[in-house]
Order: sequence, then structure tokens, then C-alpha cells
Amino acid sequence: MLAGTMADYILLAIVLAGIIASWFAIHASIGGGVPTAYIYHDSVLVATYPLPGDDRVIHFDADGEIGTSEIIIDRSGARIARSPCPTQHCVLSGAHRHIGDMIACVPNHILVSIRGAGEMHNTFDAVAE
Amino acid sequence: MSDSAYSIPRPSLADLETKTRWLTLLMLAIGLHVFEAVLPSLGPWFKPGLANLVTLLAMVMIGPRAAFSLAIGRVVIGGFFIGTLFTPTFIISLSAGLVSALVMVLAWQRLPGISLIGVSLLGALAHMLAQFWVVETLFIHQPAIYYMLPPLLLLSTVTGWINGALARYIVARLTHE
Repeated sequence: MLAGTMADYILLAIVLAGIIASWFAIHASIGGGVPTAYIYHDSVLVATYPLPGDDRVIHFDADGEIGTSEIIIDRSGARIARSPCPTQHCVLSGAHRHIGDMIACVPNHILVSIRGAGEMHNTFDAVAE
Repeated sequence: MSDSAYSIPRPSLADLETKTRWLTLLMLAIGLHVFEAVLPSLGPWFKPGLANLVTLLAMVMIGPRAAFSLAIGRVVIGGFFIGTLFTPTFIISLSAGLVSALVMVLAWQRLPGISLIGVSLLGALAHMLAQFWVVETLFIHQPAIYYMLPPLLLLSTVTGWINGALARYIVARLTHE
């Protein structure tokens, strides 16, 4: 039932090659160093914080399109603790600390991107609404 | 006034059958659209694409125009039910649904040797790419969101292939019995 035509398999091979190549390219461009939270409002980088390895807790209020998103960065990672958006998916997604992780609040135009050293893993944790 | 002034032209049986088939597919697509909205999320903007499968069925069984109107209809009416009408989610869904329908129609008409599986695969990838482009262009304005794209495209490849196989099976059952 799942068998395709020769053209389908050629298409699949091209698609998979493209995805794998782009994955490696992105992995290479993410950079090295300590995992760091980059906080954006639209195209503007409003703050960067290395994820702490100790008990420090950083609070940051990011002003967005519809209000202020409260971002907390601590040992467990970066998370949006409070958001003015209606469905709160960004809040419910919890903390993220792996390189490549992202939290996007589309209605408020806020993006928290974790970048730094190591592999780009766990990107499925990223939650947007 | 003569009797003919009051007479309403009756549609042909074939026309009624086509409209009934389109409405049935629309109802199915709306139901699946709502169902997918309440499913646990595998990732941002990722859905299994079951509602898009119905667009594929409309394209094959009725025609390209039916596929486009069904893609618009299910997002608009589905938006009423799940409360996302005219929100960013609605704009993202509508744009991605239309781009996906366009890519599927072009692939179906122009790519030789491709089956519904390949058409569905291209539609799923187009849907995901369109979502990211709309989010980056209209809302987030930050190319960093594309870092999330490769794993989600991989998932779309899997679901696109499976949905295409399902569509092929359904079309075969509906048209040869």
C-alpha cells in the first residue's frame, strides 16, 4: 500500500538529501560555546543570557506586539513564565536548554532561541502558537 | 406573468452529484481540521496533514478549483469552530493550505510519472515551508526560526508519504466500486 512509483522514489531521495544537507548546514552555523538564550522581538535582538549552571535566576521582560512576555532563565533552561497571548502555548511548553531549542510566541512576536556549542538536538521541544 | 417567469432552472444530476461530493469532502475536511487542532502537538505548526489529504481527494475526484475552494472553506469554517478566525494561526493555516494546494495541483498536472504519494509529499513539504515563511515574514521577523525546519520537514516527508498512500487507496475504492 505504501509503495510508490519510480518517480516518487527519485523525488523522495532528492527531498531527503536536501533535508540532511540543510540540517548539517544549520548545525554548523549554530556556533559553539556555552548554551545561550537569544531573545528577539521581531528582528531585534533584545537580550542574550548564557544559561546558568548554578542557582542564579534571571528575569527578563520582553515587550512584544500585544504586551510583555516574562522570560525566566535558570538552571533548568529558558522559559516564558507569563505571556499576554490567548492560548498560552509558549508558557505551557516549559523550559528549554538544549542547543537548537526555540520558544516562539507568534502573536507577541517574541522568539527565544538557544544557541551555542554542541549538537542541534531536541528541536521538537520548540513550541509556538 | 407567464409560468416560465417563475420557473427555476434545475441543475443537472451530474452537477448536483459533484456539489454533494464537494460538500461531503468539505465537512470531512472541517472535522479533521478541528480534530488536528486538539491533537497534542509534535512541534510548532506540525500537524499530521489529514485535512490536507481531503484537499488531495478533492483535486483528484472533482478538480483543481474544488481543491482550492475546499482548502479555503475548511480553514475559514474550521476557524469558527476552534476560535482562531483572523488570528495568526488562521493566517498561517490559510496561506499554507493554499500554497500546498497550488503545489499539489501543479505536481499532479506537470510532473510525469508521479503518483498521489509524490504529490502528497510535495504538498506536505510546501505546507511546512509556507508556514515558516509566513511566520518569519509577518510575525517573528527572525530567520533563526528556520533552525527548526529540517526535523519538521523530515516529519512532513513521512506524513506526506503516508497520506498520499491513503489518498490513493481511498480514490481507488471510491472510483472503482
